[in-house]
Amino acid sequence: MTLKIGIDVGGTFTDFFVAEEGAEPMIHKVLSTPHDPSIAVVQGLEEIAAMMTPPETLTHFAGRIDTIVHGTTVTTNATLTHTGAKCGLITTKGVKDALEMRRGIREEQYNNRYTNVQPLVERYLRVGVTERVDRDGAELAPLSLKEVEAAIELFKAEKVEAVSICFLNAFANPEHERQAAELVRARLPGAYLTVSTDLLPSIRFYDRISTTALNSYVGPKLSHYLDQLIGRLKDAGFRNLLLIMQSNGGVMTPQVARDNSALTLLSGPAAGPGAGLAYARVHGQNKCITVDMGGTSFEASLAVDTPVMVNEGEIDRHRIALPMLGIHTIGAGGGSIGWIDEGGMLRMGPASAGAAPGPACYGRGGKRPTSTDANLVLGYLNAEYFAGGKMKIDLQAARDAIEEYVAKPLGMSIEDAAAGMYRVICNNMAQGVREVTIKRGFDPREFPMIVAGGAGPIHSCLICEELDMPFQIVPRESSILCAYGMLMSDLKHDFVRTFVSRLDAIDWPRLNGLIDDMVDEGRRLLSEERIGTDRQQVHVKFDCRYLKQYHEVSFEVPAEAVKARDIAAITTLFHAEHNRLYGYSLEAQKAPVEIINVRVQAVGHTDKPAQPKEPWHGTDPRAALKGERPVYIPEAKAFRTIPVYDGHKLRHGNLIEGPAMIEEITTAIFVSEANSCVCDATGSFAIFRKGREDLVVSTLKKG
Amino acid sequence: MTKVDPILLSVYARTFKSITDEMSISVQKTTRSPILCEAKDFVTGLYDADGNMLEQTENLPILAFSLAPVCKYILEYFKGDIHPGDVIFHNDVFSMGNQNNDVAVYKPIFLDGTLVGWTAVKGHQADIGGNVPGGYNPNAKEVWQEALRIPPVKIYDKGVFRKDVWDLIFANIRLDIVQHDMRAQMGACTVGERRFLECLTKYGLSSFLAHKQALFDATRRMMEAELEKIPNGTYSGEGKVYYDGHHEGTVFTIRVDITVRDRSITFDYTRSDPQTDGFVNGTFTSSASATVLTLLQMVNPDIPHNEGMIKPIEIIIPEGTILNASYPKATTFGNHLCPPNADSIIRALAPVIPDRVTAGWNNLLCSLTTGIDPKRGEKYVDIGFMGLKGGSGAMLGTDGYDHIGMIDASGGLLDQDYEMFEQTTPHLLVKHEYTADSAGPGQWRGGLGVETEFVIGSDDTQLVTFGDGDFEPAFGLFGGGDSTLNLIELIYPDGKRVVPRNKDLITGVPKGTVYHQLAGGGGGYGDPTKRDRAQLEREIRNGVISTGQARSAYGWKG
Repeated sequence: MTLKIGIDVGGTFTDFFVAEEGAEPMIHKVLSTPHDPSIAVVQGLEEIAAMMTPPETLTHFAGRIDTIVHGTTVTTNATLTHTGAKCGLITTKGVKDALEMRRGIREEQYNNRYTNVQPLVERYLRVGVTERVDRDGAELAPLSLKEVEAAIELFKAEKVEAVSICFLNAFANPEHERQAAELVRARLPGAYLTVSTDLLPSIRFYDRISTTALNSYVGPKLSHYLDQLIGRLKDAGFRNLLLIMQSNGGVMTPQVARDNSALTLLSGPAAGPGAGLAYARVHGQNKCITVDMGGTSFEASLAVDTPVMVNEGEIDRHRIALPMLGIHTIGAGGGSIGWIDEGGMLRMGPASAGAAPGPACYGRGGKRPTSTDANLVLGYLNAEYFAGGKMKIDLQAARDAIEEYVAKPLGMSIEDAAAGMYRVICNNMAQGVREVTIKRGFDPREFPMIVAGGAGPIHSCLICEELDMPFQIVPRESSILCAYGMLMSDLKHDFVRTFVSRLDAIDWPRLNGLIDDMVDEGRRLLSEERIGTDRQQVHVKFDCRYLKQYHEVSFEVPAEAVKARDIAAITTLFHAEHNRLYGYSLEAQKAPVEIINVRVQAVGHTDKPAQPKEPWHGTDPRAALKGERPVYIPEAKAFRTIPVYDGHKLRHGNLIEGPAMIEEITTAIFVSEANSCVCDATGSFAIFRKGREDLVVSTLKKG
Repeated sequence: MTKVDPILLSVYARTFKSITDEMSISVQKTTRSPILCEAKDFVTGLYDADGNMLEQTENLPILAFSLAPVCKYILEYFKGDIHPGDVIFHNDVFSMGNQNNDVAVYKPIFLDGTLVGWTAVKGHQADIGGNVPGGYNPNAKEVWQEALRIPPVKIYDKGVFRKDVWDLIFANIRLDIVQHDMRAQMGACTVGERRFLECLTKYGLSSFLAHKQALFDATRRMMEAELEKIPNGTYSGEGKVYYDGHHEGTVFTIRVDITVRDRSITFDYTRSDPQTDGFVNGTFTSSASATVLTLLQMVNPDIPHNEGMIKPIEIIIPEGTILNASYPKATTFGNHLCPPNADSIIRALAPVIPDRVTAGWNNLLCSLTTGIDPKRGEKYVDIGFMGLKGGSGAMLGTDGYDHIGMIDASGGLLDQDYEMFEQTTPHLLVKHEYTADSAGPGQWRGGLGVETEFVIGSDDTQLVTFGDGDFEPAFGLFGGGDSTLNLIELIYPDGKRVVPRNKDLITGVPKGTVYHQLAGGGGGYGDPTKRDRAQLEREIRNGVISTGQARSAYGWKG
């Protein structure tokens, strides 16, 4: 009987999802321990062991665990709080400031108080050395080893913890980087080292130097944390496979994570999209939009067959050009503060009351009205059953805050003001969903929305209304979606090589050589991770563009097309993708296409826990009815008394007509008047627009 | 009239913003000229049926405030002869255009046969005909030596593509990519149209009209609240322009008299010098854009950008002055009169709102190289964005921004990526770094300038320079010091040194010539001896302030 655990460390809570063959899946949460997150990890395991029937000791329980998949925000936090390693940088003479210049952008053009971000490496520790290769990789000047040695001496004297090496045009010829790296390894064996062409051998200097520097900046922190975690787990009795979540939605072994720590930088929400897909598949759909609304932020992402990837992103305004899931984050959460701007218009966020002081209704000193306060006034939250009744919240405090800061200035009632706050934040979130759908050429109406996060399912009906989306699913594991998703993740390794050529003049032996190298490296890593060849899969992608465009379109190329050297088929795929993204293609004009990068993703399929399948219990939900209360109905712009159901008691097939509330300990779900809800075989709630029973047809009828 | 719902008002505002942002992404991702897709020298906008601005995404602010006036001109020009399916091009500087190279696409939007609004995209095209590739012709005296004039013209007429008109335009433009880029601009207008119609269909026309007016009113109140914070009075300032492209040693003065009366502000440029007989002349909209963007940096940056924002602002620029040339004068340099115009405004208002102004910004000095890449046999055009970006002026409590570029872009203009620069030109980059001691000293120092050096990789290369800032440095304020000057110089393979004038055209530059450029820093603010010592010592260690300057300018005793 295999036992697997997903562990997601967040800012406030550490979430656990326990999947054991033949047993009910289990959810657990403990408070995080930010100074050393591994403490909460072990504490949670101990608590789970005690909850087993019969109760187990930690040692016994940990000894039974086959796999732990772990998501950490150690690197993310180090970057956001500027507490990464003291770093040195060796680069080509003449361009040592590229890292700090960030191509000269100021994101807020009219704001003269907006300052640049602190550089990842102080200027006196950025050393330019004599060396040069040209754009085609030919050596123009040899590397001055003497200057590299001088840099190393400086780093030694300054007690630098991590070193980055990034030379101009190294994507075309990495030899100088290798020479410099050899010297650094020999003379500074204790330092964490990142070589740009090992991490990201592709064109665009700023992207590469920034990504390389980020990797070094967070590398020592992550290594230290992994040491602590592995040590504590070992002491607890854990002997088996530990996997770490990456920003690309895949997992990796701790050793790969140590060398490529930047791969974890945006991994916090990365398990969500894959998990969302698992819930969509229950309803016969192989695509979805996953949204997650927490206390301060709202995340939206898209999956079509597999979660959608992008090849670049940003963290704290630093460029990170590694493949990652295309997750869009906006400042909208339960703590988002409502305020009136100088023109008299209502705004929500991006300022957030966070966990401290928190919303006014928490009574912890928060005076400003938040989204959570509005939800309480509107009846979506139950003051008596907040966190399952474990936490007291104060309705009057919420009303007072809304009255003072929103209702009075706008000259409206407290209820209308709260409804306005609710509406505006839903609109903000709907725009966030647009970012990952319409702006990438997808129509949101064709997707089910998977709704996660404690506050998500209160708002999702109105978000879907804004976007004309008829179908949403609130997973049973909604409040710990990422911990669940970690167990659904595969091992994934991404590789890239720059290869500039017109598509109709490809040097195939060279291109195939590059692809083979990447495939071999991917398979080697997967084998080291104990993935048999039968469970390995490789995907090839090309980054192409019309000749002289500046931005590339990345698309998957089938292995057969590469094998057959089928340029026509590959070109057609490019035109189609360009058309989908930007509304036009130049296929008719026969515009020439060029390739810039070739990418390989090596995937190792892991064993996934089976989803529970409950037998059908009939449509009648009355056994779960726990009462009724007045709740604001947006369609009617008025309060109405509606039924409230206990979500834990709803069974497969139970059908609820909106408007209705469904309450669980960690989640409240509002089913608006336009929608109905049915509980599916996994215990999740499928919410569909009335009249669209076709979307949930398999759940409505027995079998 | 529908009743205004204050909540729905917020929803409209957010939706308009997302529409113009979406249009902007579309332009950036599909255009080919690096001026558009890398440097983002374009603006996308949404306007009501009367051409009033609903929202804009202003990647480069200097283009931003001429779209609405042109939209109004187009309405006047076609007098009702506007139909579903029309697409209109425009660049003409004598009908409210701001610069010849900035060509706009306008698309009227109809709902059930009624004109309800416009989408528009204006972008700086890689070429626009005229005597010189790229459009910067320092020898020009009249518009025809600069560019093809495009007064309002329908490219699509009721949905029918006018191939003859298209061919006429592009027969007069050198580079094919301009055709592709104009297609991309039309595509973005369609993207915006689709979204706008979705919004109107959802809420209804009467709701839109009522809320549009409420939105203008709310925004106007925000701007008025900002203006009320400036004491009533009339304040005057000057900025200098050096060299008209024809007469060495010439200097021109921009003079502004700013009158603040309660909740309104007037910028009167009547006392400015007359127009030049070169291309160093503004157009009304380029100059007014410069005024608006300078003011916007002194007020709450959260004010939405719509018609309400500009309502309390009056701008008077008599025709025939250097900021508003009369027909048919050359004007391509007009956008670049923004820095001295901003200087005049800052100098006028500094004594009144010392906590809101910056010291002087580094002025633009730019170059453009064209030639044939010998290894690839292809023609290239490169605008040296990375070389031109100097520092911004410091303000009370905040240092200037390093390597940001001129005030009319305010950090919206991106450097070329070094490796892409070497892929698309035959040049070899030698240096691009901050220049030590380039920042104007101050309790808050100016932004740092940069040094750029590359080896020119083609024979018979043509170099065009345009700009200023090589005679007068960015000025300091309230005890802060001035910055360093701009410089461009060429060192030929035989050792000969050539310093082009700040508006010049140099041909036949041989392969192997070293191109060297300094972009100056920004002006400092406040007494430098009061600069935070720990910060100063960090800067000394980092080599951006020398020990020499630390001692002489900052009173450092180390």
